[in-house]
Amino acid sequence: MEQKAPSGMRRVRNRGVLGFALLLAILVVLPLFGLSPNAVRLLFVTFVWVTVSIAWNILGGFGGQVSFGFAVFYGLGAYAAALAVNRGLPTIVALLLSAGVAVLASLLIGLPTFRLRGPYFAIATIGVSESVRVLMTNVSMTGGASGYRILETGPFRQLDHFYISLALAVVALAASVEVRRSRFGLALIAIREDEDAASDLGVNPFRTKLLAHALAAALTGAAGGVYAQYAAFIHPQGVFAFSIGVAILLMPIIGGVGTIWGPVVGGVVYGLIHDELVASFPQLHLLIYGSLLILIVLFEPAGLYGLLDRWFRALAGARRIRAAVP
Amino acid sequence: MQPFLSLDRVSKDFAGLQALKEVSFELERGGIYGLIGPNGAGKTTLLGIIAGSLEPTSGAVIFEGRNLVGAKSFAAVRAGVIRTHQVPKPFRALSVLENVEVGVRFGRRGRSAGDGQDAAEILDWVGIAHLAHTPSAILSVGDQKRLELARALGARPILLLCDEICSGLSEAETACILNLLRKIEKSGTTILYVEHNLRAIMSVSHHVIVMNYGQKLAEGSPQMVQNDPAVIEAYIGGRASTDGRQPRSGFVAES
Repeated sequence: MEQKAPSGMRRVRNRGVLGFALLLAILVVLPLFGLSPNAVRLLFVTFVWVTVSIAWNILGGFGGQVSFGFAVFYGLGAYAAALAVNRGLPTIVALLLSAGVAVLASLLIGLPTFRLRGPYFAIATIGVSESVRVLMTNVSMTGGASGYRILETGPFRQLDHFYISLALAVVALAASVEVRRSRFGLALIAIREDEDAASDLGVNPFRTKLLAHALAAALTGAAGGVYAQYAAFIHPQGVFAFSIGVAILLMPIIGGVGTIWGPVVGGVVYGLIHDELVASFPQLHLLIYGSLLILIVLFEPAGLYGLLDRWFRALAGARRIRAAVP
Repeated sequence: MQPFLSLDRVSKDFAGLQALKEVSFELERGGIYGLIGPNGAGKTTLLGIIAGSLEPTSGAVIFEGRNLVGAKSFAAVRAGVIRTHQVPKPFRALSVLENVEVGVRFGRRGRSAGDGQDAAEILDWVGIAHLAHTPSAILSVGDQKRLELARALGARPILLLCDEICSGLSEAETACILNLLRKIEKSGTTILYVEHNLRAIMSVSHHVIVMNYGQKLAEGSPQMVQNDPAVIEAYIGGRASTDGRQPRSGFVAES
């Protein structure tokens, strides 16, 4: 929404933009200063998760449509990119195909499932996700359950992958910001708050949800494509796994659902600690996420971002009080 | 000339319960129409059908020559038929201004009397401009009702359907809302006003439609309707005098 912000708010927003530009600049030059391949890999994975987390939040956070089925888009995007690259298509074309295939899937899934509401929609997405996984384990063109390999034709350049994933995360963030301030975003939030009331004011809920689903799918598919090109080997139990679908939903909820920065925080936290957690607690890592989820839903529904935001405000408030007292 | 709004034998079944039985009436453009009846008479169901929230089992709803049956509520909004809810449904995460903004940005396109107004002007008109940046979740009932009205106005109604907009309000608040309805009507919007509060509806309506058990019982000017024996029977109970029970206080006083 275009509103004239009071000067104080504009100052805060300018500071936010400045901070973001600084962060981006640091991320761009960071790998040039001899970061270990493992650190670069960790950042790459984090950017992929941040992208997917932001994408889920567009439908799930702004629009309130909880989907467990985003692994479908991630996996289809991964396969589309792998198939394209093996046919000699350039990376950017491969990623556009990833996004396109995911959008197509989102429409096919959305047309029937968006006639359902609330928990019924969520349950339907679980069914769809599992069906697609089973289907893909039986498609012979992509090697079925044994997976599909990208045949490398050139040398592996890790930094290329790093920058592509960073660029995609920035695109996702920009899309999320743009949605939040647009007419479309207003419709999504209205639908989340009360679908009937939104419809009674002229919002077409079905079309709006379908569009949000498609946008989220495009970003998620592209993220899958970016991942596949890095990993060079994908298999249905990996990219289509139900746990991927759950992780994609967990990140924005842990970070702060329905906000701009919450999904980013969630994606960063998940990206940075996930490998470590799986390595250290191979049996327990899901329990840890589960417990974190329960704690957040009970005590901080605004997520980690909400928590951080409150701390900063309290800190700033304390400083202001101290400054005011001579 | 075709009527402004015409209902032709509208019926609605809810899993065997017949909520509406062949209700027919016509409205002309302009004025405040009252729709009254005891609890369960089917008033809100009828309103929902006109607004596209519900689909009738049979019958037709013709608005400005267009059959609205089968149209979803957002399509009815685009035709200019906009409703408010008896139990306010604010978008709780949005501010009062943003709530109205939804109506302004998604409502009927084009201009008519009383519009060209932006969300802030509408809030001013309805008397809650001072709450513009308040989260709608923390409004009082009275202000929620005003917000319902403001949002609907934002969508630029040609026909405004008000569902018990005064229920739960104090006398002063009720008077305020009724004045607002008169103002809205003067600006060129036709109003169909469903109300349980008879005194309220008799004071603003020029034409009243009475319903009972899903059927139209009577219609006419407020005076005519008040003196109609069938209406009195429906409201007070027909055998009140013969079985010895005292009738409840005169039905116009009931509120």
